[in-house]
Amino acid sequence: MKWKKLGKIFDPRDFDLPNGCVEFAQSPQALVFDDFVRIYFSARQKDPRNDKYLSHVSFVDMKKNFKEIINVAKHTVIELGKLGCFDEHGIFPMHVIRRKDEIYGYTCGWNRKVSVSVDTSIGLAISNDNGLTFRKIGDGPILTSSLHEPFLVGDPFVQTYEGKFHMWHMFGTGWKKFSKSESPDRIYKIGHAISEDGVTWEKEEGRQIISDRLNSDESQALPTVIKLGDRYHMWFCYRESSDFRRNKSRGYRIGYAFSDDLVDWTRDDGNVGIDVSEDGWDSEMVCYPHVFEWAGKIYLLYNGNEFGRYGFGAAVLE
Amino acid sequence: MFHWKKRGLLFKPQEIQGKRWLREFAQAPSVLIFDDLVRVYFSCRPLPDQNGQYVSYSGYVDLNRSNLFEIVKISKEPILQLGELGEFDEFGTYPVSVIRDGKDILAYYGGWTRCESVPFNVAIGCARSCDDGETFEKLGHGPVLSYTPDEPFVLSGPKIRRYDNRWYLWYIAGRKWLMTDGRAEPVYKIRMASSNDGVKWTRMGKDLIESKLEEDEAQASPDVFFCNGKYHMFFSYRYSLNYRNKKRGYRIGYAFSEDLKAWARDDARAGIDVSESGWDSEMVSYPHVFTLDGKIFMFYLGNQVGRYGFGLAELVGGLS
Repeated sequence: MKWKKLGKIFDPRDFDLPNGCVEFAQSPQALVFDDFVRIYFSARQKDPRNDKYLSHVSFVDMKKNFKEIINVAKHTVIELGKLGCFDEHGIFPMHVIRRKDEIYGYTCGWNRKVSVSVDTSIGLAISNDNGLTFRKIGDGPILTSSLHEPFLVGDPFVQTYEGKFHMWHMFGTGWKKFSKSESPDRIYKIGHAISEDGVTWEKEEGRQIISDRLNSDESQALPTVIKLGDRYHMWFCYRESSDFRRNKSRGYRIGYAFSDDLVDWTRDDGNVGIDVSEDGWDSEMVCYPHVFEWAGKIYLLYNGNEFGRYGFGAAVLE
Repeated sequence: MFHWKKRGLLFKPQEIQGKRWLREFAQAPSVLIFDDLVRVYFSCRPLPDQNGQYVSYSGYVDLNRSNLFEIVKISKEPILQLGELGEFDEFGTYPVSVIRDGKDILAYYGGWTRCESVPFNVAIGCARSCDDGETFEKLGHGPVLSYTPDEPFVLSGPKIRRYDNRWYLWYIAGRKWLMTDGRAEPVYKIRMASSNDGVKWTRMGKDLIESKLEEDEAQASPDVFFCNGKYHMFFSYRYSLNYRNKKRGYRIGYAFSEDLKAWARDDARAGIDVSESGWDSEMVSYPHVFTLDGKIFMFYLGNQVGRYGFGLAELVGGLS
């Protein structure tokens, strides 16, 4: 695999974003239309009550190989959750798929906690207006903590293969205090669930489907899967679980795995085809990959330095 | 109308010495009957921390089967450890409901975590005992019943039952949080799920008991008891706001069903209310009905939701 980088294609600072968001355009997710692609991303507002962040979903419509921006959302695409709900403090990311005339938005909802910073669960929202706005099917999540996935169920990616819905997602395996001066950091892995209808899911319940490369504390997130020929390919991001925010050598990289049966995955980062650049916007980290097909080509959307604070870029599979 | 004869406050946590985890409260009594004793699981608290916040533990007291007012033994330690960092039951295991499963004993419990915008959240965990209920091993680090689109938070008050080889779990599910005087108060309703194995649950997905006081009536602690061809449910209910007083606090309600699905509420038949004075003069809640040697008893909580312990009532006449 070899990805040819097309550069950064969207910078949130160049636009007036809805919900008072000023920075970050994280975890780009594509929805392909006849003559343009809509890319959803999560931007951040400063919570006026406490200066913490609130992530809101927005989108940009692009034409011609990402070179022309034709529209940026000016409205609220999906509301954050009500008081005490799983998605009260942010939705990041929202992954979208077409389902007949509707668009299903699988959300990763964030809520803040006390002994640890946050928990996440996966929600479902449906759009009947071609993805302009989404309405949640309920106040609670469709996939959340369970016996062997005790917290941090999130980062959904959904595809239908052989008549079944497959979801790849992350789940937390531990919170650890790596040093006295730092707050606890989380460790998470990639899991898998199956569904007949895209709404009610059966988890594999704690099975880590992608092996660790760094060590057992490696965190893995944001799986994205595409079928090319007879083989399923997965990209995801991974990092060390401590000192990963500023230390370039411990931050996010993109990993790769393949499967021929959707059960067993072989990790093969040597074939990932993309890494940090020598310099520039993605020179310190690469993360939150999203792979999709558009007009006969396979594209990768991803974030760079500072977890996408200054936007996202694209690459094309050679 | 049923007639419950009150027998008085039976277990007083403040009188127990030498247990750091058992200083106040004895909530949510749930019985397990042995040959010569009645074991009552309950939830209790150590003193609050410097911020006034509590954690909750669960333990048991063994009562003499032929004289329930005689305490034989109290568990040495809590039956469940609190959860690890970030887990759903890090700050409390309350309440607990137990049932025999062959030689083992299963416990379903509410696990408490603390949140930023609301004070807490609760999900239902499960643990198994292979030593007659002395100690329990959790089935996993996470809950066995967690949130869904229409049960978005605060899943608590589990009561586990088995009828015709199927497992039933009654519980409460949060509906909304109301802000009042800077404090968030949850509204919850009574729900049910059933299962073939006690682990994988199918939810009925609707409120079982119509609301009576107000739309936002809080309903808690469903307790189901089968007798004379009918399922009887005693539960507690109160106003959602300003409920820490006699007028708006917990009372015990009643409903019955013939098929476990349709429930008719008929509080007039509950047959138990607050007393004129004493430990249960302001509120009554958390009923647990059980049969013992031909008699039907109810454990229940009084003022301040069991801060001073639980009491006993005995049914005079039958449940029909």
